[in-house]
Amino acid sequence: MRMYLIWILFVLSNLSFAQKSNDINPIKVGSKIFTEGQILGEMMTLVLNEKLDHPATAQLNFGGTKVVFDALLGEDIDIYPEYTGTGYVFILKKENLIRDPERIYKEVALAYKERYQILWSPPMGFNNSYALVVRKDDPRFSGISKLSQLPKDLRSFRYASPHEFMERTDGFRSFKDFYQFQFDPSQIMGMDAGLMYSALKEKQVDMIMAYATDGRIEAYHLKTIKDDLHFFPPYWAAWNFKEKTLKKYPILKEATELFHNLISEEEMIRMNAAVDEYKRSPKEVARNFLIKKGILTGKVNKKSSHSKRGVLEFLYQKRFYLYKIMKEHIQLSSLSLFLAILISLPLGILLTRYQKISGPVFAVINTLQTIPSLALLGLLIPLTGIGFVPAITALFLYCLLPLIRNTYTGIQGVDSKYIEASKGMGLTSFQILKTVEIPLALPVILAGVRTSSVIVIGTATLAALVGAGGLGEPIFRGVATINSSLILLGAIPSALLAILVDKALSLAERKLISKGLQLQEKR
Amino acid sequence: MIKVEGLTKVYDSDIRAVNDISFTIPKGKIACIIGTSGCGKTTTLKMINRLIEPSEGKIWIDDKECHEMDAVHWRRRIGYVIQKAGLLPHLTVRENIELLAKIIKRPKRERLKRSNELLEMIDLDPSEFATRYPIELSGGQQQRVGIARALMEDPPVLLMDEPFGALDPITRNTMHEEVLHLNSKLGKTFVIVTHDMEEAFKLGDEILLMDKGEIVQKGSKEDFINHPKNDFVEAFVTQQLNRDNL
Repeated sequence: MRMYLIWILFVLSNLSFAQKSNDINPIKVGSKIFTEGQILGEMMTLVLNEKLDHPATAQLNFGGTKVVFDALLGEDIDIYPEYTGTGYVFILKKENLIRDPERIYKEVALAYKERYQILWSPPMGFNNSYALVVRKDDPRFSGISKLSQLPKDLRSFRYASPHEFMERTDGFRSFKDFYQFQFDPSQIMGMDAGLMYSALKEKQVDMIMAYATDGRIEAYHLKTIKDDLHFFPPYWAAWNFKEKTLKKYPILKEATELFHNLISEEEMIRMNAAVDEYKRSPKEVARNFLIKKGILTGKVNKKSSHSKRGVLEFLYQKRFYLYKIMKEHIQLSSLSLFLAILISLPLGILLTRYQKISGPVFAVINTLQTIPSLALLGLLIPLTGIGFVPAITALFLYCLLPLIRNTYTGIQGVDSKYIEASKGMGLTSFQILKTVEIPLALPVILAGVRTSSVIVIGTATLAALVGAGGLGEPIFRGVATINSSLILLGAIPSALLAILVDKALSLAERKLISKGLQLQEKR
Repeated sequence: MIKVEGLTKVYDSDIRAVNDISFTIPKGKIACIIGTSGCGKTTTLKMINRLIEPSEGKIWIDDKECHEMDAVHWRRRIGYVIQKAGLLPHLTVRENIELLAKIIKRPKRERLKRSNELLEMIDLDPSEFATRYPIELSGGQQQRVGIARALMEDPPVLLMDEPFGALDPITRNTMHEEVLHLNSKLGKTFVIVTHDMEEAFKLGDEILLMDKGEIVQKGSKEDFINHPKNDFVEAFVTQQLNRDNL
């Protein structure tokens, strides 16, 4: 049976190879891990496949800016949509001193070409910068569409912006100084970017600093007030691709020019809303838009195909993604648990031998445990950077307490009569440790391992915050876009994983712990 | 043969738990150390196998003095049995009996033969009891396994620290018979710590009554009954025997 399956797989893989080699190489279209990037990526893939008859594959949801940029440099992808402001501030690390959007675009394009041999297409037309967003029906803002029209005294308004915007030097403080606004300090709050929109809608706040093309601006009946004096660098969207790639696929010139001034801010907001709020697929939204613009032919599909989408279909669609984040999650958890066990068991045992230092050591570990996990990650970033290392470090630190404490109490708790009997028999302290103390403490030690593993699987969802991936990724994306399917895509597997591991460890306990102790436990 | 000379244990420089005691127990005899709690009897026993290091004094077992070897090797020549046997609950009866032999790497076949012999000697059928865990044994059976474990490496000396204290009177009586039987059969020297005068009279060829870290009187049962050295001995013997006979 197995041979049969292998044979089928073999044949199938050969078939797909054969097919590929007959065709021209497909252009690989990438995007960052958020809705707008997905829609634009789908749009480019459609334009290439159906308008220009060049095969193209969409490799969307690649990661953050750094990841996608590196993928382009490494030619894992051929093209992706980027924003001038991101290139200017994040990649080129320039201070935002120039106020002229046109000049910034030119400067970014030039620097990219020189430094990375990457080209910028003509901009697509919309600017996804920060914008001040208010409720459409708030009478205090009627007739106001530009920041310079606002009164300077804003002390009667409640204001919220994402945490990072509160802290950055080019963020809130310089913004308010630039426009000479006055705020009431008690009415300013930092908030999760995803929750901000609902807070505004529910009238918890009056104005938020948001992304100018977020779909919720439309869905929640909000409006943007334009940064007409250009405090923010422009976030004009344009295609990035390497010079080399253009030579390989000259068709990219035509394709990217099709996008020149194709999409307005209002249109982008509407498309984002269609995906985020009305749950239509990015591909469908992209296709409808291209048909409306006369680039593709066909009928605009008004009905959402998404709403009919069942749970199983959703899971099926996300299966590769699920596999990837599951793998990351398991790697993160098991590696940190493994390292923690490696350190904790000897340390716990050592502490039973050196009682004097056990007090201070436990004080330190207890304190570590009380640091909120989010804060711990934040503290680690300057030391370890982002990604796998801080995530593993934080998870490792969280595992330590239950492991060390249980090893310590387990060994301490061994009845002294057993130790005395063994010592009297002529066993050395090491032999007693190995054949008496550890086996007798094993139930308690293993309970610590179980506790740690459940903690680590849960906490590992936070790893997504520092770019280490894992099941937390869809959870945070889901929270940010109020998409419960996405939240569940991360939450259910991580809960299942925790239960599964707990069960597996309890089975392992039955194997590892002496039957004599288990019988004793029962009586 | 056990010979103790000037054995002393001083705690915190002035508390003398055991003060300059000397005695000899000939090979194959049973000595019982008796006294009220805190009299130093257990300390004395634990100094013999160096679970407690003596502050002063010398101990011989046959012709070896205890300072000639390290404590671990010294203990391997002495069987040690404690109250409730101290069997390791995570090991089977056989694993308990063979523990030391396994650690000093006796061949498996040799171990198996010896542990079977011992199990038969204590009247526990190997095929039934070898794979049981201590929790699956009665108190008396546990105590017998404890003795078998102490005898595994055939030590010349067996130390027992209140070995039958936790047993019911009937079992205790049976165990007394077994100890006497073993002693006559094996010809080993026994030192048994007890607080029960009747037990001491029944088992001990030699009885050492201790009080406040010193030996008040040592001798046979007859010596204690007919020639108590002083009022303390007289009172101790009468009180104990009366209590037990009531």
